[in-house]
Amino acid sequence: MTSDAPTELGELTITRIFEARPEVVFECMTTPSHLTHFWGPIGMSTPLDGITVEPNPGGRFETVMVNDETGEEYPMRAVFVQFDPPRMFSFTEAGVEGGMMTTIVFNDLGDGRTETVTHQTNVPPMLMSPEAQAGLETSFVKMDAYLATLQ
Amino acid sequence: MTNDPLSLTFAALADPTRRAILLRLAEGEATVNEVAEPFEISLQAVSKHLKVLEAAGLISRGREAQYRPCHFESAPLEAATDWIARNRQIWTERYDQLEQHLKRMAHEKEKKK
Repeated sequence: MTSDAPTELGELTITRIFEARPEVVFECMTTPSHLTHFWGPIGMSTPLDGITVEPNPGGRFETVMVNDETGEEYPMRAVFVQFDPPRMFSFTEAGVEGGMMTTIVFNDLGDGRTETVTHQTNVPPMLMSPEAQAGLETSFVKMDAYLATLQ
Repeated sequence: MTNDPLSLTFAALADPTRRAILLRLAEGEATVNEVAEPFEISLQAVSKHLKVLEAAGLISRGREAQYRPCHFESAPLEAATDWIARNRQIWTERYDQLEQHLKRMAHEKEKKK
């Protein structure tokens, strides 16, 4: 349904390949003692005591990222929608931009590696119809071209 | 429907007529009559669309009571684009670090053998 096309409205898809089996990658992504090592992007830490993972649909998925320099905290308060190890999990953040959904799929490449496809969207459901999508995409290609001329 | 800026932006852009209006205004400011010209809908309907676009901050209206020219505002669209860029950055760095973490795990497993 989606690609890495940068023009898609309000959507983000990131595909990565890891040198580990899906069971291992899935466990890393859903276990506090692992998450604390990598969840925060560069310049941020994610202390273990701020991580909550209730591994089932409806369970809490919470982290607090701390800016290493300023100490500023960035909490994430999410709820798992789907939890299907080691194939996929998804979670929603009600407090972010009107409700954001993140879905992470773990594809077994069969050679000890795993491809993860991370898809994030905050597009309201009413915009998700194929007609709306098609219309938005063409408009956004034009709009992007226009914005580029402003810079 | 929530009222946060990004949702307003996306909701305003959900309608094809509003997108067409916006593309017209991106070329330069125009009065309601000028905006309405290419569309087969009433001035009233066009005014309604303009109100939605204005509420989302995608356009601004002039003060002159009679003409109130409409002006395209790029900031909300840039905010939408920025949001995507920022999240892409976070996930890329997060996965870079996961990669390192998995390497360390494999390394320690080797040592234990």
